[in-house]
Amino acid sequence: MPRQCDICHEARAIVRRPKTAQSICKECFFYVFETEVHNTIVDSKLFKPGDRVGIGASGGKDSTVLAYVMKALNDRYNYGLDLYLLSVDEGIAGYRDDSLETVKRNKEQYGLPLLIVSYEQLYGWSMDSIVAAVGRKNNCTFCGVFRRQALDRGALMLDLDHIVTGHNADDVAETILMNIFRGDISRLDRCTEIATSGEGYVVRSKPFKYAYEKEIVMYAYLRRLDYFSTECTYSPNAYRGYAREFLKKLERVRPSAILDIIHSGEAMHVAKDVQLPSLDRCQRCGYISSNSVCKACVLLEGLERGIPKLGISRTKQD
Amino acid sequence: MCDATDTPAMESQPQLQKERVVGAQNKLCVKCKAAKPSVSIRRSLYCRNCFVRSSVTKFRTALSKSRKRMPVTAARARVMVALSGGATSSAMLQLMADYQRMELKGYAAEHTYDSIVAGHVDESALFSGYDDAQICDIAAAVDVECRVARLEDVFELEGDRAALLELVHATIAPGTTRDQFCVQLTRGDESTPAREQLRALFAGLGSATDREDMLDIIKSFLLARLARQAQCELLLLGDSGTRIASKLVSLTSRGRGFSLPLEVGAETPFLGSNDVVAYRPMRDLIMKEIAFFNLWTGQSSVVVPTFTTGAPETASIDRLTEAFVVGLDRDFVSTVSTVCRTVQKLEQCPEALTAAKCILCSMPAELNAQAWRNRLTVNVAPNERPLEHVATPSADIQSPLSSFDVTARLCYSCQSLLHFAKPGVALPVFCLDNYREQATASPPSDADNDVDIDADSQQRRESLRQRIEEFFI
Repeated sequence: MPRQCDICHEARAIVRRPKTAQSICKECFFYVFETEVHNTIVDSKLFKPGDRVGIGASGGKDSTVLAYVMKALNDRYNYGLDLYLLSVDEGIAGYRDDSLETVKRNKEQYGLPLLIVSYEQLYGWSMDSIVAAVGRKNNCTFCGVFRRQALDRGALMLDLDHIVTGHNADDVAETILMNIFRGDISRLDRCTEIATSGEGYVVRSKPFKYAYEKEIVMYAYLRRLDYFSTECTYSPNAYRGYAREFLKKLERVRPSAILDIIHSGEAMHVAKDVQLPSLDRCQRCGYISSNSVCKACVLLEGLERGIPKLGISRTKQD
Repeated sequence: MCDATDTPAMESQPQLQKERVVGAQNKLCVKCKAAKPSVSIRRSLYCRNCFVRSSVTKFRTALSKSRKRMPVTAARARVMVALSGGATSSAMLQLMADYQRMELKGYAAEHTYDSIVAGHVDESALFSGYDDAQICDIAAAVDVECRVARLEDVFELEGDRAALLELVHATIAPGTTRDQFCVQLTRGDESTPAREQLRALFAGLGSATDREDMLDIIKSFLLARLARQAQCELLLLGDSGTRIASKLVSLTSRGRGFSLPLEVGAETPFLGSNDVVAYRPMRDLIMKEIAFFNLWTGQSSVVVPTFTTGAPETASIDRLTEAFVVGLDRDFVSTVSTVCRTVQKLEQCPEALTAAKCILCSMPAELNAQAWRNRLTVNVAPNERPLEHVATPSADIQSPLSSFDVTARLCYSCQSLLHFAKPGVALPVFCLDNYREQATASPPSDADNDVDIDADSQQRRESLRQRIEEFFI
């Protein structure tokens, strides 16, 4: 006897929801997924009418679904937003050039304007040339630092008020765990915020903060959305992999653990007498930084001078 | 490397196998720089004597730091040392007894503790395969009195007001707009032995994770009670650095962030009573250090099994976390100490300081836990109005058989714990005591049943809007 949907009790259930283990039909799944994102946006008061919002689009499943859902919710609930697709080309052959084709297709499919900024254009170095210079270690550090500035510069070019990224619940939970394992107290304090404060750079938020990665995949699949899925060629050795492995096993023991970790992270509070870095401006490029020279400038200098470890490992005092 | 002319390699192989630490032959103990090292801790080499001495110093330093940060009010406090019989608590008892004896000789200028007593929770109602008497022997070996509480004591009914809270209905979820945890009062059944009731409680819980959680809750309660009964102002808990690191991650994974600093911090004031303070003085010692300390000082210990002993790593959250943290520490040697330092930097968030106690675990219970969950786990179909809140009668604790909603009195994590429990499960006596205490302090009102009025009205407004949406231009 085919099972009825646990929510509408009418249609036939076709999936078991990863978040709650309910058996539900396709339409109810779309509805609950979209409503939860809508609730997140409304409760956190992320936008106001008239905001120009850039969707960080990599062509992967998270950003494709994000673009689709943002457009759908913007239309359905009249957020009054101007939406744009903003993409970063890190210059990774065989990975990024393929996913950018997906973004270009998304532009046509969703009818949203697109801007692509590249590392080559902004810094004079592509990830491929960086890895050739420094080797296959600590690559994520370079990419992450450069990408963050790249998105902000793209946002300036488009005169955006807000950037949204497709970070999902699994990403946030992994970040919390990673910061605990590494003892990074200042990041631990900040990483559960749904939106950055916007001091010195464009406000950035994660509408998918409470959406499970598996559900995003399910959504993309059931809606037949076009996305590109492969691992970045340089990723296998990242420290985040440990946190990810732990989280995957944890999800098998208790599926609600992902939300539980985020709940815990939000309650974590740094003791008053702990010193946290203060925000300042980079002396060279003016970008926001907690040191006198921002990390991107330090890394670039290392690359230009042929000292690839500059900004990555500590140098011994002789 | 694999050269045919390389004959010496074959002869030197047996020698290489004997060396436990690479290069130890050429190095000396980092402390005394004279003796040959016998152990490597976090890549530092120690000889036997220096190692034992430094372990003792670490214990005493941790103890005096705790004393400064959260001093005990009594001038000469009595100390209870929690003794599970495991390696860490046995080592802690030895170290504390030694410290006490040393101070009595007058070496230290600080004021001393009045006396020490060991507190043990007998778990034989749930686990077998070990001899509980051996644990009291460990205390006897250092001339310390051992007080014992049994797990089943939490079901001992006393007096006329004897009653228990029985779970009627627990749901986070499907079909309702809000979580509901309804309990009812039942007269305790005096014919059923407390042991059976305890076993029934554990059998009625949903998973190994829930059972471990409940066991921790009961043990904490019993230890605090033992300390109070023995008139001890200070309770020492035997959590090693490895255990604290693992606990931090597993408590985070269970959603206990709100009460985290109290459960893994260096010092903990026991909620609701200003009379007992708990320290964790073994926090700077990792499992490996404790194992070697016990080996070289001839300290005996007992292995007490638990629900997941010998089980695969995905048996429960605690088991998985322990396996993971220990494994990670092998690859990144300072993981445990880094995580322990992170623990020291956390404190309770402002809301936790004024929050009411959870009636189950006695930790701060966050408000709006269910509202938070409901906004993120939608259960309503597109064209349906959300189900009306099922009205429950306000708690009338005088009349048995009326069921009432205790959702607002449970913390987020205990809600998860009870969610999968079978209806009919009776909760330990202290839950009712906690409920009574809170109910007299702040009587239940409609406000308790409407935890987050704003989320509700917003939800109603949303559903209204959906019904008329098609008319919007």
